[in-house]
Amino acid sequence: MVVMTLPAEISSLTQCLKLVVECARAEGFAPQRVTEIELAVEEAMANICLYAYPESRGEVEVRCGLDEAKHFYIELVDMGIPFDILAMSLPDLTVEPAQRPIGGLGILLILAFMDYVTYHREGAHNVLRLTARRPQLG
Amino acid sequence: MELQTQEVANVLVMHVTGRVDHTTAKQCESLLLPHLEGCTGEVKKALIDLSGVDYMSSAGVRVLMLALRQCQKQQGELVLAELSPMLQEVFKIMRLNSVFRVVATVRDGLAQLSPAAAAMYGRA
Repeated sequence: MVVMTLPAEISSLTQCLKLVVECARAEGFAPQRVTEIELAVEEAMANICLYAYPESRGEVEVRCGLDEAKHFYIELVDMGIPFDILAMSLPDLTVEPAQRPIGGLGILLILAFMDYVTYHREGAHNVLRLTARRPQLG
Repeated sequence: MELQTQEVANVLVMHVTGRVDHTTAKQCESLLLPHLEGCTGEVKKALIDLSGVDYMSSAGVRVLMLALRQCQKQQGELVLAELSPMLQEVFKIMRLNSVFRVVATVRDGLAQLSPAAAAMYGRA
């Protein structure tokens, strides 16, 4: 497992995504799949940077590794306010185009591009795990 | 990311290049939106060429939505052209093809917006 601790700020995104892309490439994902994973992680990481610590500064730990089934995961761990991204209501895409929400669309990319997404609270930590099945494992 | 603009008859063509993510979206917004102020009715129409965008997250999509809302408020027209396959996938997931006018090429976009611009582009 590779671990990187970063300030929970948007300026940390570049470093976070560089790590994720390097790890995903090393696991043999095709370029397009790497970009999909990158997009999903960006959305999750941005959410933490923008909302996890509303009144203070904090950190986020980025962990990349293989789970028991040898699938590739990215875990984002923060000590911010409890927040389960999976419990968010999804934007309503059926309304008239003019009424469509401008924000809140990132969650759709996380759900579309990752094979599994799990969240749990571990003591004072939010643990969000995004998993992508590795190509050779199917 | 970078933005270059080009006037083709009564169409303002905006070429966006690079990466539009949560770190660059604000810059994209502040570069792009002021150009749209004059895009009203038949006077000036807008086309955003995304052929140079190699990566766009929801933060970039938000900027495109803001651009569209601004044009709509002014009775202006906006067309998006040359989305990469990855961006097309993002649009599909977010069901944005019913929100934006999306065309394959800049030439197609100009043809939809203005015969004069399409003719001028052909001569260029």
